[in-house]
Amino acid sequence: MAARRGEDIVSEFLSQNPHLVSWVESLRGHCETNKQWYARREFVLRNMEAFPTIQPGSPSSSLDRLLSLSMVWANHVFLGCRYPQRVMDKINEMAEGITVIEAPERKTRDEIMGKLKRPAVSAADADYQGKKTKPNEPDDRAHSKCVVHPATSSHKCGPSPGAPAEHQPFFNRLYKAVAWKLVSAGGFGPNLEHFEILRSCVESCKASLTCVFVPLKDIPDLPAGRTQREGQVCELRCCTVYMGTGYGRDESAARAMASKEALKVFQGQKVTVKISRRRFRGRDVDDLVLLDEQSRSQAFPPALSCPFQEDE
Amino acid sequence: MGVPAFFRWLSRKYPSIIVHCLEEKAKEYNGVKIPVDTSKPNPNEVEFDNLYLDMNGIIHPCTHPEDKPAPKNEDEMMVAIFEYIDRLFNIVRPRRVLYMAIDGVAPRAKMNQQRSRRFRASKEGVELAEEKQKMREEVIERGGYLPPEEIKERFDSNCITPGTEFMDNLAKCLRYYVADRLTNDPGWRNITVFLSDASVPGEGEHKIMDYIRRQRGQPNHDPNTHHCLCGADADLIMLGLATHEPNFTIIREEFKPNKPRPCALCSQMGHEIKDCQGLPREKQGEHDEFADTIPVSEQEFIFIRLAVLREYLERELTMASLPFPFSFERSVDDWVFMCFFVGNDFLPHLPSLEIREGAIDRLVGIYKDVVHKTGGYLTENGFVNLERVELIMQAVGVAEDNIFKKRKEDDESFKRRMKDKKKRMKAEQRPSFLPGGQFAPHALGGRDRPMAVQNARHAAFEMRMQGNQRNQDAAQSLRAMMRNGKGSAESSGSMDNRGVKRKADDSDSEPEPEDNVRLWEDGWKQRYYKTKFDVDATDDEFRKKVVQSYVEGLCWVLRYYYQGCASWKWYFPFHYAPFASDFKDIKGMFSDFEKGTKPFKPLEQLMGVFPAASGNFLPTTWRALMSDPESSIIDFYPDDFAIDLNGKKYAWQGVALLPFVDERRLRAALAEVYNDLTPEEVRRNSLGSDVMFVGRSHALCDFIQELYRAESHTATEIPAEFCHGIQGILNLDEDPILPDKLVESPIPVLRDISSNCAIGIKFKDPQYADGFVFKAVILPGAKIPNKVLKPGDWEQSNRGPWRPQLGFNPNRQQAHLDQSAFRKLNHHVGRSDGPGIYGSGPPSDAHRRGGAYSSAPPPTNYHQGNYRPPQRDHYSQSQSQYSRQPHMNTGSYPRFQQGSHGWDRAMQNQGSSYQQNQQRGRGDWRPQQNQQGFNSGRGYGLPPASRRYNWN
Repeated sequence: MAARRGEDIVSEFLSQNPHLVSWVESLRGHCETNKQWYARREFVLRNMEAFPTIQPGSPSSSLDRLLSLSMVWANHVFLGCRYPQRVMDKINEMAEGITVIEAPERKTRDEIMGKLKRPAVSAADADYQGKKTKPNEPDDRAHSKCVVHPATSSHKCGPSPGAPAEHQPFFNRLYKAVAWKLVSAGGFGPNLEHFEILRSCVESCKASLTCVFVPLKDIPDLPAGRTQREGQVCELRCCTVYMGTGYGRDESAARAMASKEALKVFQGQKVTVKISRRRFRGRDVDDLVLLDEQSRSQAFPPALSCPFQEDE
Repeated sequence: MGVPAFFRWLSRKYPSIIVHCLEEKAKEYNGVKIPVDTSKPNPNEVEFDNLYLDMNGIIHPCTHPEDKPAPKNEDEMMVAIFEYIDRLFNIVRPRRVLYMAIDGVAPRAKMNQQRSRRFRASKEGVELAEEKQKMREEVIERGGYLPPEEIKERFDSNCITPGTEFMDNLAKCLRYYVADRLTNDPGWRNITVFLSDASVPGEGEHKIMDYIRRQRGQPNHDPNTHHCLCGADADLIMLGLATHEPNFTIIREEFKPNKPRPCALCSQMGHEIKDCQGLPREKQGEHDEFADTIPVSEQEFIFIRLAVLREYLERELTMASLPFPFSFERSVDDWVFMCFFVGNDFLPHLPSLEIREGAIDRLVGIYKDVVHKTGGYLTENGFVNLERVELIMQAVGVAEDNIFKKRKEDDESFKRRMKDKKKRMKAEQRPSFLPGGQFAPHALGGRDRPMAVQNARHAAFEMRMQGNQRNQDAAQSLRAMMRNGKGSAESSGSMDNRGVKRKADDSDSEPEPEDNVRLWEDGWKQRYYKTKFDVDATDDEFRKKVVQSYVEGLCWVLRYYYQGCASWKWYFPFHYAPFASDFKDIKGMFSDFEKGTKPFKPLEQLMGVFPAASGNFLPTTWRALMSDPESSIIDFYPDDFAIDLNGKKYAWQGVALLPFVDERRLRAALAEVYNDLTPEEVRRNSLGSDVMFVGRSHALCDFIQELYRAESHTATEIPAEFCHGIQGILNLDEDPILPDKLVESPIPVLRDISSNCAIGIKFKDPQYADGFVFKAVILPGAKIPNKVLKPGDWEQSNRGPWRPQLGFNPNRQQAHLDQSAFRKLNHHVGRSDGPGIYGSGPPSDAHRRGGAYSSAPPPTNYHQGNYRPPQRDHYSQSQSQYSRQPHMNTGSYPRFQQGSHGWDRAMQNQGSSYQQNQQRGRGDWRPQQNQQGFNSGRGYGLPPASRRYNWN
C-alpha cells in the first residue's frame, strides 16, 4: 500500500510534467528490474529540486551526482552494499518517504562467516552446555561479556548493579544494525518478517537471541479481566536482557509478535539498558530491560524467565 | 577459464597429455656455479621453436609467494623473476622466439571478475591484519616469543596492474634482463625476443594468441612451428586448441595440493596463525647456522601435450553417419565452445552445469545426439550459429530438473557417508579393560619369547588396587548423577514444563547456509529468479534480457578466443546466469558488436577495478572520487558488500554482489581530473607498443641497426627470410637498447652491461583489414605428429606388445640392467619420496570411477631426474654436433628399464580394471576421494615383483 502511494505520487508528478517522461526513462539502466527502477526513479524525482543546476535532457555533473546517489541507495537496498557513513547518512535523508516492499535480504561476508562460526546445538544440548560452561565463566572473557556473574550474596538474586553499563555498548551497536536493517527493508511496518530482521541484526553483532515459550494458561499474573486461556507466549532475550513479549496462536506467531514489540523499542532515538522491577511467578524481581527514551508508564508483562536466579 | 577444477578434470580424464619435464641442473665447482648451456639439445628430446610466457603467472609467485617467505624488497622480486624465466628457458630451450606477455588492460568483460577479486582481497587483507594483531597480543600475553614485528608493510599485490610504478619498473628490468641474456647466454644467441609489457592492452595470454594468429595468417608462416606456452590457467589449453597448430605444448608447474605454508606470525612451518604458541625456534644445526634456511622443495614442471589431447578428442568426437561431412577440426572448435558453458572468466556458468558433476561429458553426449539434427557444426572460426546452439540448450534444459534432484541426492549421501565415517572412527576405541604390565597380551609369533610371570601375587594386588580406584571414581560419578537427577526432577516437577529455553535456530546437524532457492524442489525456476534477480518468473521481458546478454556473451567469448577482442566495451551486466531451458528463440538475439571500441587507459582501469582502500596507486584527486560523498561515481565503491553463497559452502566460493561500473559516468567524472596527472603519470597512463630484441649474431641485427643509423621513422616490415618467416612492423624506439652502448642495470646488485650485444626496436603484429577472419584450420604443409595413444584395436592385430611413447621421442632406445644395476636402483629408489602425482600414473582411486576414461589405457610417464638417452630425436633443429659419453649416464639407465617393466604389468592390470569399471558404470566424483587420489604417489621397487605394481 505504501509502494502504491509512492507510485501514485510519481505518476501524478509525471502526468503534470509530461515533458519529463522520456527523459526520466532514459536514465534507466538497460538491465534494471522494474522494481528497482520504480524505486530509484522516485528517489531521483524526489531529490531533483535539491540539485538546481540539473536541466532535464542535458547531461551535467550535478545530474551525475544525483544519479550516483540514487545508485548508492539502490545498491544498498537491492544488493546489500554498504558505503561510508557520511554517504549512508546522506542517502537515508534523501530517501525519506520511499518504501520498498520485499527488498531482497543480503548478507555480507562478515555475516556469513560469523554465522558459520557459531556452533549450532539443539535445545537439549544447549541446556547441558549452559550448565557445563557455568563453572568456567571466570576464564571465558568473551562469554562473560554476555553473561552476568551470579550474585555474590546467596539471599539476593537478579542482575548486578553494573550490568546495564556492561550491556549498553552492545545494544548501541545493535541499535545501529537494526536501524540500517529497517532502512534496507523499507521501514518499520506490519508486513515485515520481524523475527528474521531482529535475528539477523543480533547475529551480525555476534550474539544470539533466546526465546522462552510458555503456554498462556500457565502464567499466574495475568490481568483479572482476561478470559482467553489458549495460545503461546514468547519472551525474547539477548545476552540476558529482556527485549519483548508476544502472544500468539502458536509459537511462531508468538515469537513474531515478541519480535515486533522488541523492534518498537528501536524506533526511538536511542535504547537504554536498565534494571526494572517485574513480576515473575507471583513475586517481584529485578530484571535487565531494554527501553527506548520515552518513559513508559505501563507495567511490563510478567517475566517468563529469570536468568539471574541461582539453581535451586 | 580460471577454474582449477577444469584442469583437474582434464588431466584425470586424459592422463597421457601429461609429461614430466626433465631439467638439467647447474653444476657447482669450487663454489662457482656453472650455468647450464641451453644451446645444447633439449634433455626432453624435443626441440621447441617458440616459448611464450604468460608473465602474470610468474610475477605473482615471485612477489608474494604462498609457500615461502616473501622477497624483502622489489629488487629481490625482480631477481626472482629473472631466475624463474631462466629456469623455464633451461627446460624448454626455444630456438626461434621467446615471447613475454604481461597483462595489459583487460576488456571490460573481464573487469567484473577483477573487481570481485580486488574488493574481496581488500576486505580479507584488513581482516588478516587484524587477526594477526590480535593473535600477536595473545601470544605475548602468554609469555610466548615472537620475532620483532616487521616495519615493512605487506606487499600489496594490487600493484601488479597496468599503470602502477611497479609494472613500469618491471618493464625496465625485463629489458635489462633480455639485453643481458642476449649478450651473455649462448642459448639466447639466435633467438628473437618479444616483450609485450603492461602498457600494451590485452590480457597476456590473449596477446600471445594474437601474435600466433597473425603470424599464421601470413604466407611465410612455418606451419610446423613447435610452440610451448607457459601458464597455469586452464584457459591456455583452450587457446592452444583454438590455434589449430599441430605442435602445441603447454608447460606449467605441477599442482601439488596441501602444500605447507609458514605461519604468518612467527614464520615457522607446521602450524597456522590461529594455533601459534610463540614457541622458540628449534636450533638448526649446532650453532643455529641453518636458521634462515627453509627446506626448499623446488617446484617441478610438467608439459601438457595438446597433440595428445587432440588424439583423445578425435576418438571421443568422431561420429559416423552424419548428414554433413565430418571435420575433426570443426569438432574441436565445438568442444572448446561447450567448455565455456561450464566455466570462463567472463560469464557465470549455467546453474545446471557443474564441472565436478561431469558437465562436459554430459554436454558432449547431448552434442553427439543433437548434432544429427542441427545440420552442421555449432561454430565456425569463432562465430556461433545460434539456431543450432538453441537445440543443444533445449536438450540440456530437458535434463535440468533431474540434474538438480540428483545433485541434492548426491550431496545428502555424501554427508551421510561422512557422518558414518566419523562415527566409525569414534567407535574404534580400545576395550574398556585391558591388563597391563607383564599380563599385557602379546602378539602371537613375536620375535621375543614371552617372559615368565614373576611376582604374580604382587602384580595382581596392584591391579586390584587400580581397579578399586576406578570403581571409587565411578561411584562418585554415579552419586553426582543421582544428586543432579533429583534436583532436575524437582525443578521440572515444580515448573511443570514452564520456562523451557530454546535457541532461535534448532539444528541437529552442522550449520548449513540456508538455501532459499532449493533447486531440487518444484518451482525452482520461480524461486531462482525471485531470489537472484528479484523478479517474478512471469517477467518474461526481463528473463529475455538476461538470456540475450548471455547469448551475446557466448558470442563474445568465442570470438575472443578465435579472432581477438571483438569489443572492449561489452560486459555481462548480471550476477547470475539463466537456465539452459530459458534459451528459446535466440536466433535473432545477436547480430554484431559495436565497432571501434577502445580499451581503457591503465589508470582508468584502476578506477574501474580497485576498491577505495586501494586508491594509493592513483593520483590524489582521482582517489577522492572513490570516497567523497559529492563524487559522481561514489556508487562504484562500496566499502562492504553482500555475498551470495549460491549453493556453495564457503564465502570465498560465493558471488560478490558488487555494482557494475557505468562507463559513461566514469569517463565524465575523470574528464574533470585528467589535468591533475603529472607527466610521469601521463606516461604510465599511455598505451604502449611491443618491443622486439635480437642479439648481434641474429640476421636481423644489422637490418635493425641500419634503421637506427638512417633514423628511418617510417614503419618498416621485417624481411621474412631473416626471421624464420616471422613478420611484423618495426618502428624506432625512443629509448632503445643498442649494441656497444652501455645498458645500466636497474637493480643495484646486478652489473651494468658494458659490451652490450642486443638491439631493441618497437614491434607491431602484422595488420589485417577490418572484418578479416582468421581461419581455424590446419594450415597447408602442416605435418600431424605421430600418434601416441595405443590404438583401440591393438590387441586384435597380433602385432606384438605395445611399446608406449614415454615423453616426446617415439624412438627412444631401450636399455637392459644386470644384477649390480638392480642393486643400485634399489638403493637409489629406497630413499626417494616417490614421484609427483603424474609420474606414478593415475591416482590409485581414480580408475575406480567408471566411464570417465577413454577406451584406451593411458601410458604413463616414468621420467625422473636427469635421464638423457643418447638418441637424438628427429625434431632437433640444432646444427651442433651432439656427442655424449654414455658412461656418465649409467646411473640413469635403470629407471627407464624398470619403468618399462612396470608399465607392461600396469597395463595388464589396468586393462582388467577398466573392464570391471565398465560393468560398474559411472561413479561420481567426490572431493574426499580426490584428495586421497592426489596424495597417492608412490615409489618404485624391484622388478618384477608383481604386487609392487598393483594399481588397485
